[in-house]
Amino acid sequence: MRLHLAVTAILLVLVSACADAGSTDAEASRLVVAIPRDGGPINPYSGSGDFLLGFVYDRLFEPSPFVEEAWPGLATGARQMDDTTWVVDLRTGVRWHDGTPFSADDVAFTYHYYRDGPPNRFGHHVSDVPTIDRVVVLDSVTVRFECGYPCPTLERITMADLPIIPRHVWEGVTSPRTMTRLPVGTGPYVLEEYRPDQLYRFRANHDYAQGTPAFEELLMPILSDASSAFVALRTGQVDAVARPVPPELVESFSNDPDLDVMTSPALSIVELRPNYRRPPFEDPVLRRALSLAVDRAGLAERVLLGRGRPGDRGYPHPDSPWTDPASSTPSDPAEARRLLDGSGVVDRDGDGVREMPDGTHLDLEVLVDAGEATRVRAAELVSRQLGDVGIRARVVPLESGALSQRSATREYDMFVSEIGPHGAADPDQFVMSHRSGYLWEADRPFPAWDTLFVRWKAAATVEDRSRAAHDMQRLFNAHPTSIALYYPDEIWAFRPAEHDGWFPLPGHGIVHKWSLVHR
Amino acid sequence: MAALRWRRSGQYLLVVWAALTLNFLLPRMAPGDPLDYLIGPEAEILDDGQREAVLAEFGLDRPLPRQYVDYLGGLVVGDLGISLRYGRSVSAILVERIPWTLLILVPSILISTLLATALGTLAASRRGGRADGSLVAVTLMIDSLPAFWIGMVLIAVFAVRLQWLPSFGAVPFDPADGALGQALEIGRRAVLPIATMVIGSLGHTFLLARASVLTALGEDHVLMAHAKGLRPRRVLFGHVLRTALLPVYTSVTLSFGSILGGAVLIETVFAYPGLGRLVFEAVAARDYPLLQGAFVLTALGVIAANWLADATYPRFDPRVRDMSAS
Repeated sequence: MRLHLAVTAILLVLVSACADAGSTDAEASRLVVAIPRDGGPINPYSGSGDFLLGFVYDRLFEPSPFVEEAWPGLATGARQMDDTTWVVDLRTGVRWHDGTPFSADDVAFTYHYYRDGPPNRFGHHVSDVPTIDRVVVLDSVTVRFECGYPCPTLERITMADLPIIPRHVWEGVTSPRTMTRLPVGTGPYVLEEYRPDQLYRFRANHDYAQGTPAFEELLMPILSDASSAFVALRTGQVDAVARPVPPELVESFSNDPDLDVMTSPALSIVELRPNYRRPPFEDPVLRRALSLAVDRAGLAERVLLGRGRPGDRGYPHPDSPWTDPASSTPSDPAEARRLLDGSGVVDRDGDGVREMPDGTHLDLEVLVDAGEATRVRAAELVSRQLGDVGIRARVVPLESGALSQRSATREYDMFVSEIGPHGAADPDQFVMSHRSGYLWEADRPFPAWDTLFVRWKAAATVEDRSRAAHDMQRLFNAHPTSIALYYPDEIWAFRPAEHDGWFPLPGHGIVHKWSLVHR
Repeated sequence: MAALRWRRSGQYLLVVWAALTLNFLLPRMAPGDPLDYLIGPEAEILDDGQREAVLAEFGLDRPLPRQYVDYLGGLVVGDLGISLRYGRSVSAILVERIPWTLLILVPSILISTLLATALGTLAASRRGGRADGSLVAVTLMIDSLPAFWIGMVLIAVFAVRLQWLPSFGAVPFDPADGALGQALEIGRRAVLPIATMVIGSLGHTFLLARASVLTALGEDHVLMAHAKGLRPRRVLFGHVLRTALLPVYTSVTLSFGSILGGAVLIETVFAYPGLGRLVFEAVAARDYPLLQGAFVLTALGVIAANWLADATYPRFDPRVRDMSAS
């Protein structure tokens, strides 16, 4: 009996210790969306991802650099005064979530902070590609951007990418990654509660200047296990899931009368990345042979089950408005063999595997994230296709951390990976990736690229910049350091009875602020 | 006696130091670094200088011995550092998570132990019979099932099919009416994780209890009790279980030590905000300070449980008490 009482007492203490969590008022109009990972307290330094940032923060132009026409966001318009100068008019009457008026000071502060503060994914779009020397406040609703070299795409790319943060909150913040306070933005939803690893709770920002929030309350439980998330959707515990539906579940979700599915262009590329820093793929001819040896159509058919396209348009993503419309990376194993033979990479001992001119067997590894079944399958098929042209490529599945480390330390021959929209569809990032080491290194000799880079930097109009960028893309795809294998589609599931206003935004899926705001 | 105590204390200190050192080294020996989380999925497109700068923000660019000295120094003053993932004190995060893990682990260990002991005793007392065979077969089968799979089956039945219980979370989105209502809601959400852990851990304790009871049934003092004409029920509770339960007691005491490690997979499947899920997320983010803190807690828990088993065993077993005294 004493034991019984003691156990009951312990349980009551524990339950009451836990019972304080999550107290808040219920709201009348609510949407529940399961999200796959905790993005921290939602700020540009917390690794939140673009879709979560968008609910809280706005950009000068919306929705992203991946559309033909960006529409005004916190800016009402932008004028290019000369090759390196833009004047931007800002929206009036906008307030931050804490009631402070938004002004030109915030814009200037944001761009300077990204440029001079700790690195994040936005920083190099201010400090390098392009280089913004200064942002000058002309008056409370006008700013002037001064670039270090011509910046004709500033409005459509940079201003449509960088979220604006409030000066009065961020001034003096020197370690933004340890900032835990709830964010203050100008976006359509105010983050009201954040329970790490459990839940985000947003409420509508009724003062939102760019439209009306569709829901009074947005709840985003964090369900890192995919099965749990889709079970919650099926049982009606959540109304949508902010992660693509695995191909094997699509049919069952389509047949469920309570659910609907929607396809969106992911703007991501599943790539085969040869290591251009060491033999054999430091030789551009061998990288070209590698690209020709891959049968992308066969790969897409077997791996994607019809949910995506072969990567026969190369890099960047063909759906990006900035990609060369004539881009092509055909498969031609016969030509691959001819190039290998011409480089002296031939099978001298008759074992079916070619040797380098110095006698080294072309016996390589293809690393792949063991947790990504589709990519593992793709790597196996690539291995088989490379075997057909005499390259032995053994598939080595690794834990994601181990794969990241091998990539960071450049200890690999090839690996299969996926690059998201920012890397695959943003033309400035394509150039930046040739300077950062991702696709090439700034100090590694590549005269043809350097010539084009000079031309690209000097281009003062969007048209000239695009022409230079297309030439860069053609040069890249001729001897790629990232071989596009396929372009996956993303399929999203939701309960239409709760919300049917979802619309797919290239590179952002359906769970983004513009699906949840009446414009 | 004093020398024995000193030697044992020295052993415990050595174990603590070794555990703390391993806690420091193991996360860092694992491949990968925290950048993928700190920067997000875009980490790969940063150049080397930017990657170094981000690591420097958290002191992760310093030489390993320096980090080790700082880590030990912090422990001495009770400072477990700042989590890279949450940007908050590791101690505060652990304190928040412990009650959730205790809430599901304490009942599951108690229920599982009581149930397994009862079933093990039943099986042993009917050794070779149909009940014994069936119980052994069923528990062995359950013991071989992965816990997360058991969790998914329970979700499929009780959350999807019957829709009796929620499949994720520890608290409702909105608070229920009153503290009792809220406590009941929290209890409802704990049912499936507890059931999963009970089922998942039943087999081991069942087999242990059955084997111990079987051994005890063959002891001379039990034969003597039967010969004296005692009722079977009295023999079982008064003579068999008193000795047979000692190994079960030791096993349960030690399992309390592993409590703080949490039920990583189960808490992940049920999106339960305990220590197990915390460790899972910390591993994914390579959050070294948080991993160190969680592992320190686990190691100290195991050591404390060992100490508790050592210290309390003589109270239940007079033979050990006599040996200690002599």
